[in-house]
Amino acid sequence: MKYELVSGFETHVELSTNTKIFCSCTTQFGGEPNTHCCPVCIGLPGTLPKLNRQVVKYAIMAGLATNCEIAEVAKMDRKNYCYPDLPKAYQISEYDKPLCEHGYIQLSNGRKIRILRIHIEEDAGKLIHAHGDTYVDYNRGGVPLIEIVTEPDFRSTDEAREYVEKLQQIMRYIGVSDCRMQEGSMRCDVNISVRPEGSDELGTRTEIKNMNSINNIVKAMEYEYERQVDVIENGGKVTQETLRYDDATNTTSSMRGKEDANDYRYFRDPDLVTILTSREEVEEIRKTLPELPAVKQARYVDEYDIPEKDASLLTKYRKVSEYFDEAIEGLKNPKTVSNFIIGSIFRRVETEKDKEAFDVSVSPKHLRELVKMIEDKKIQNNLAKKTLEKMLDTGKPCTEFIDESDLGGVDDSALEQMCKNAIDGNPNAVADYKGGKEKALMSLLGNVMKQSRGKADAQAVRAKLIEMIN
Amino acid sequence: MSEIKKIHDMLVSKQISCKELTEKYLTEIENSNKELNAYVNVTPDAALAQAEKVDAKLGKGEEIGLLEGVPMTLKDNLSTKGIETTCCSKILTGYKPIYNATVWEKLEGEGAVLLGKTNMDEFAMGSSSETSYFGGAANPFNTKHCAGGSSGGVASAVGANIAPYGLGSDTGGSIRQPASFCGIVGLKPTYGAVSRYGLIAYASSLDQIGPITKTVEDASIVFDAISDYDPKDSTSQGRKGEPTYNSLNNDIKGMKIGIAREYLEGVRDDVKEAVLAAVKVYESLGAEVIYFDMPSLKYALPVYYIIACAEASSNLGRYDGIRYGFKAEHYNGTHDMMCRTRSEGFGDEVKRRILLGTYVLSAGYYDAYYKKAQNLRGAIVKAFDEAFSKCDFVLAPTVPMTAFEMGHAVSDPVETYLTDICTVPVNIAGLPAVSVPCGFNADGMPIGMQLIGNKFNEAKILNAANAYEKAAPENFKETKWGVKL
Amino acid sequence: MVTREDVENIAILSKLFVAEEELDDLTKQMQEIVEFADAINNAPDSGEEFDNINNLSNVFREDVVVESLPCEEILKNAPEQAEDHFLVRNHN
Repeated sequence: MKYELVSGFETHVELSTNTKIFCSCTTQFGGEPNTHCCPVCIGLPGTLPKLNRQVVKYAIMAGLATNCEIAEVAKMDRKNYCYPDLPKAYQISEYDKPLCEHGYIQLSNGRKIRILRIHIEEDAGKLIHAHGDTYVDYNRGGVPLIEIVTEPDFRSTDEAREYVEKLQQIMRYIGVSDCRMQEGSMRCDVNISVRPEGSDELGTRTEIKNMNSINNIVKAMEYEYERQVDVIENGGKVTQETLRYDDATNTTSSMRGKEDANDYRYFRDPDLVTILTSREEVEEIRKTLPELPAVKQARYVDEYDIPEKDASLLTKYRKVSEYFDEAIEGLKNPKTVSNFIIGSIFRRVETEKDKEAFDVSVSPKHLRELVKMIEDKKIQNNLAKKTLEKMLDTGKPCTEFIDESDLGGVDDSALEQMCKNAIDGNPNAVADYKGGKEKALMSLLGNVMKQSRGKADAQAVRAKLIEMIN
Repeated sequence: MSEIKKIHDMLVSKQISCKELTEKYLTEIENSNKELNAYVNVTPDAALAQAEKVDAKLGKGEEIGLLEGVPMTLKDNLSTKGIETTCCSKILTGYKPIYNATVWEKLEGEGAVLLGKTNMDEFAMGSSSETSYFGGAANPFNTKHCAGGSSGGVASAVGANIAPYGLGSDTGGSIRQPASFCGIVGLKPTYGAVSRYGLIAYASSLDQIGPITKTVEDASIVFDAISDYDPKDSTSQGRKGEPTYNSLNNDIKGMKIGIAREYLEGVRDDVKEAVLAAVKVYESLGAEVIYFDMPSLKYALPVYYIIACAEASSNLGRYDGIRYGFKAEHYNGTHDMMCRTRSEGFGDEVKRRILLGTYVLSAGYYDAYYKKAQNLRGAIVKAFDEAFSKCDFVLAPTVPMTAFEMGHAVSDPVETYLTDICTVPVNIAGLPAVSVPCGFNADGMPIGMQLIGNKFNEAKILNAANAYEKAAPENFKETKWGVKL
Repeated sequence: MVTREDVENIAILSKLFVAEEELDDLTKQMQEIVEFADAINNAPDSGEEFDNINNLSNVFREDVVVESLPCEEILKNAPEQAEDHFLVRNHN
């Protein structure tokens, strides 16, 4: 029998606010242990939480960017459980009235992954286990998170991978999170079940907690899919449990001991008040959202005639697309800019992190000047490419590398002389061309371009050569 | 006359130096605290240092504020930087906070002289102060009786003149009940009038800090000083309107006093008599009395215990031996350490309330208990709204009886819960109420009544209470103890 | 009806140990307290949800960093600490 994978995601995303969710300590990553702490975030008796306005705003932005409805009335609840990384023995979260509900993210295969809810909550501290002892650092305690919960809408690991990438991309675009999985600012819990293909009942699911790389997510899902199919095929039943994925062995294992009873006793946090969001506020926030990557990508394809794949590369990171948008201002052919970014600049900005920051020595304005010269037929594409490399090396504008003699191309008599030289010097190529080998013309063209040091207009050379040979 | 004003005048007129005054109090604490057990931590060095500062100011001829140089005490659930704050629980022994409660920040800023921290029921859970890890506080009228609770230490100290005034907290009557038992004044402010920041939480939606004083005027002065909006407390609103002291004009002519019959049910005869006599006093002062029913009050007590314990079970989860306070000595693994620390560190009453709170919030019981209690809380709020459409304030006994004998309260938990019947509705509805002495029983133990006002109407109830105090001064009796000014 | 199992279960959730010999007593006490709380079962339910006591909404803090406390202050009351961390030894 064939089995279908059914999976849903719960993704924790750390918000890039300046301060924690309920106190004014910094959210900066790193720092010496227990130096980003105050009485509130270590839960000293008598302290009280005060909600960071920006957290609510960022969560609403995340909701709008994923097509959610924003709740007019929301509230904060306590999720009670004891663990050394949780200083108050409860996590302040949202239970039955989350800020955002009923959204979706559309995948490239056209399927919509439905988002059940997005709520705000606080992060826990960090535990370090060494020689059997536990060391606790509360620097991360109280850092604001949004939890994005999907319906069980995934049917393949490809869909899962695309969803996580899209989610990352959207959150970075709207500037609410850097979504760095390796730093833990984005973590995924994945629930998985399998069912016979064609069935529409849900099987018993397991949940794999806290995965911090896309590759691990995919591997864990593949492993867990196989494992569950195995269990069922051997006549067994999948047990509902929480699992941990070990990437060294590529296996999952059960996580909870029996001492961890699972009853969170949610109730409204009496220390915090109601969150009301008017429709006007929602519209105000909507206006501040940048053009989202999916919309932008479609526009690049439609308006600028940029190939789908290139448009996707340009829009993957907000900074890149912003660079592109600035560079093409007033140009006739944005595609040239796109080619230069993807062909030349990306070779120097290799890692994902660097692309995200996109700190390039050539400013969009300088790139625009260079492309403008091509459009005005002042220089040739090849020369422009070489010039761009020099610009990237030095950070200087193109005028530094293009002297008077490079400009204006080559005049007609000079061109004729160069073509004559090429024809005379390559009788074989001329003969081949005359014999019907179109390609032979290219070596003659190359010869002329070399003589002109790239300044000649290839179109004009080509026409001249054909005219002279015939 | 106001105790605070009397002391202020003595300081300003140089009848006594602040240091001498403070020493007097410290000496009397030394003399009587063994018997009263009002203080659990006396802070003479800090008190004398502050007194010297005040004397230096006076010496230079500078003006001082009304509370400046006046000694006082704080219930031991108010966070005091560098001064041990235990909630009278083993689990917080040795805990020296690294921050101040907002109320102490304010009073310290006004130049108050803190004599020490006073006794209370463990985590404010109790009605006699006897659940304290340090043993119960005694009643200054008769030390065989308890001072009440949970702010029993403050009431005992103020009643015994070993503190001119103090701050307590009131979750279900913990300011008013001990004030009533000790024959003094206790004000539970409107929820939100005084910042809770730094008050170690018992039940966050019910807790409120307020003054325990000798006179109504004193309560007004202290309330004015501590009732301010605090950006650290999301539920804080501060006092609304003028300082209450400005409106103590004793004019209550034409005021309507409401009496809900439910408040008089099950109240001991001597208490009822005293309260009804007080009503007569009000009538003689020109007030009008109306009677009505508030049927939803009969659910107040279970509603209170369900909500308070639910919140407490969550608030007290943090005592796990990792960040502060007591930690079990022997254990095996982190989970075992947390359970042992809590099992050894909490007393029986605290454990009972944590268990009840956990029960009413747990899966399968939440709707029947916690959710239903919240719904009834709304009904009680409405009942009071309706009452205040008919009257200016509600008059009721503070406690259905007088101070119990030591040892009585701890024997039967449920019976003890019943004694909170008159005080808890005010906390459920977030209202202000002031308890004032209104008589004595045959054994000479004080009886108290409370005036319950609409939200943020502290000025109105304090004015009415003050008018009563002036009309019936015989109910405000001195005890044999402490500093005689 | 509160059972021994109920009490054991809520004790686990509360991170409290209840000794075997205390269990019967505690179950009885809990039963009495729960019976007392059961009085609300007879009360009419308006179905209305209680908000917060003063119906407050939108109380926020601005997103401005205030310097945190030094690590020594944060760890001041820790029963055990090591290398700038709160420490829980596995055995004691």
